[in-house]
Amino acid sequence: MTSRRDATLTYTVLGVFSLIAFLPIAGIVFTALQQPGGLAGFGRLDGFNPGNFADAWREGNFGSYLKSSAIVTVTVVVCSVALSVLAGYAFGLMRFRGAQVLFYVLLLGLMIPMEAMIVPLYYDLRDLRLTDTYWALILPQIGTSVAFGTFWMRAFFRSVPRSLVEAARIDGASSWFTLWRVLLPLAKPAVLTMTVLLFMWTWNEFLLALVMVTDEGLRTAPLGLSFFQGRNQTDFTLLAAGAVIVATPVLVLYVFLQRHFIRGMLAGAVKG
Amino acid sequence: MAAVRFSDVLKRYGEVDAVRHLSLEIADGEFMVLVGPSGSGKTTALRMLAGLESISGGEISIGERVVNRIAPRERDIAMVFQDYALYPQMTVFDNLAFGLRRRKVPKEEIAGRVATAAGLLDIGELLERKPGQLSGGQAQRVALGRALVRQPQVFLMDEPLSNLDAKLRTQTRGEIKRLQHEVRTTTVYVTHDQVEAMTMGDRIAVMNDGLLEQAGTPEEIYERPANRFVAGFIGSPAMSFFEAACSVEDGVLRLRGDDVDVRVPAGAELPVAVTVGVRPEAARLWDGSRNGIAGPVRGTVAYVEALGRETFIGVDAGGSRLAVHQEGRTSLQPGDGVEFGFVPEGLRYFAVDSGDAVG
Repeated sequence: MTSRRDATLTYTVLGVFSLIAFLPIAGIVFTALQQPGGLAGFGRLDGFNPGNFADAWREGNFGSYLKSSAIVTVTVVVCSVALSVLAGYAFGLMRFRGAQVLFYVLLLGLMIPMEAMIVPLYYDLRDLRLTDTYWALILPQIGTSVAFGTFWMRAFFRSVPRSLVEAARIDGASSWFTLWRVLLPLAKPAVLTMTVLLFMWTWNEFLLALVMVTDEGLRTAPLGLSFFQGRNQTDFTLLAAGAVIVATPVLVLYVFLQRHFIRGMLAGAVKG
Repeated sequence: MAAVRFSDVLKRYGEVDAVRHLSLEIADGEFMVLVGPSGSGKTTALRMLAGLESISGGEISIGERVVNRIAPRERDIAMVFQDYALYPQMTVFDNLAFGLRRRKVPKEEIAGRVATAAGLLDIGELLERKPGQLSGGQAQRVALGRALVRQPQVFLMDEPLSNLDAKLRTQTRGEIKRLQHEVRTTTVYVTHDQVEAMTMGDRIAVMNDGLLEQAGTPEEIYERPANRFVAGFIGSPAMSFFEAACSVEDGVLRLRGDDVDVRVPAGAELPVAVTVGVRPEAARLWDGSRNGIAGPVRGTVAYVEALGRETFIGVDAGGSRLAVHQEGRTSLQPGDGVEFGFVPEGLRYFAVDSGDAVG
C-alpha cells in the first residue's frame, strides 16, 4: 500500500513530466491553427483556421510525400515483422550450430547507427543502380529493422514457458504449426508493439531518404517537410500545419494499437 | 500400451553426466515412479524417453521399437508437465482436442473421447473455459485429460502434483492411481516426493546423482534398501543411522557404538564395523522390560514432533540423532534424558565405506 502522500507525490511528478512532454505538441497544434502570417506568439491561439492544413498540403506537395512514406513504411514493416518473427522463433527456441555467433552479428545491426554506414551504403546501392528508387529506402531499413525485431521477438519467445512448446511437439504439432497456432496468439502484444516501434522509426527516418533519393516523387514525408521548411522559413503556421500532417499517421497507429502496445511493453518487465 | 526399456542410457551435458548407465525395464501397464533428489537425473531420464532431450549413449525402446532417433510426436506418448503447459488461448475442449486433431482423428471421435475423459476427470463443466479461468486443481485435471484422450502407449508425468496444495495433492494422488488402474497404460512418473513414490508406484526406481540406486516394489525398497542412500531417502521421518562395532558372542550379535551397547539375535554374517540403520518404528521408548526389544540406549531428547495420533522423538545418542516412534502423545521435552530400544528385526546394516547393504 502506498500512502496518500506518496500517491500525491507520484501524480505530481508524473503530471509535471506529462506537461513538459505535451506542451511543445500543443504549441505546434495551436500554431498550426493560427491566422496565417500573423504570428501572435508561440502556442497562442488567436483564431481557428483549419484552412492552414489544406494550404500546407497543397503548397508542400504532402500528398506525394505521404504516398512515398506509406509505400516505404508499409513494405518495410510488413517484411520486417514477418522476418523478425521467424528469426526470433529460431533464435529463441531452436538449437542450431552457430546460433550465438549469428545472433551477435545481428546485434551489430542494432549497434551501428545509420550515420556510420550511410556513405558505404550509398556507393553500394549506386553500384547496384538502386539509388533514387524505393528499394534504396526499403532494403537498408528492412536490414536494421530485422536486427531489432529479431532481438525483440527472441526475448519474447524465450519468455514463453518451454513446456508449452514441448507439449505441442508431443501432441504432434510441427514447428510451423506450433509457431502459428500456439505461440503467435500469445505473441500478439509483442508483435503489435514491435509493429508500432518499427512503423515510427521507419516513418521518421530522415538521413537515408536525404542521401538516397533526389527525385521529388520519391521523397518521404520527413524529407519533404524539411524541404517545405526551407521554402517557408517565416510562415510558422504553415510549417506547423505541415509538421502535424507528417506526424499524424504515427499518432493514429499508436492510438489504434495503444492498448496492446502498453501490454507488450509490460510483458517483458513483469512476470506472470 | 507397451513396455519401456532403458538399456545403458547415458546423458552428457558437456563435462557433466546427468544420467549414467541407466538400465531399467518397465513392464506393459506398469506404474513406474522415478524418484530422487533434485539433480538425480530422473527428469532427464523422462525427457529422453519423451524425445525432448537427445540420448548421448545407450538405447531407449518403447514396445519393440528403439526410439533414440524418433521425434517426440512419432513416439505415441503423452506427457503431463509440472506447470501443466495448457495452451492459454484455447478453451479446455480445444486443449484436449489439440493432439487428436493433429493426428487427424475424425471429429465425432474427438468429441466422444473428450467427453469420456471429461467424465472420468469430472471436468465436463469446464470445457468452454480458458486455462486462465481454472484453479490449480482444475488445470491439473485438464492436463491429465489432455494426456488421457490421446490413448497413448505410455504416459509420462513430470512432477504433476508439485504445484498443488497438500490436501489436493493427496486427493489427486489417489485419483491418478485409480485412472491408471482403469486405463492400464504404462506410466512413468517422476517425483522428488518419496511419499508419492511409495503410494503410487507399482515399482519405484530410486535415482541419485545420475545413477539408478535401486528399482523394486515399494515394499522391497522400504524393507530391503540396497544401500544407505535408498534407506535414508525413502521413509518419513527418514531412517536414522549410527556406527557400531559388531561381534558375535554366544550366538548373539553385540552392537557397540558410542553410547550404544545392545544385543540382538545373530543373523547373517556381518563385517566388524557397520552402519546400523533404524527406521523410527523400529526404535521404541524403553518401558523397563525387554519384551523383545534390544536396549536400553540412553540419550537426550533433541526435538518432539507430535502429529496427534503418533509422535516422533528425535534423540541424540551414540553420536547420531535417532528418530523414535511413539503411539499417541508424550510428555517428554527437548533436553530430557530418555531410554529407548530397538526392534531387532527392524535393524538394517550397511557397509561403512560403500554404504551397500550387508547381512
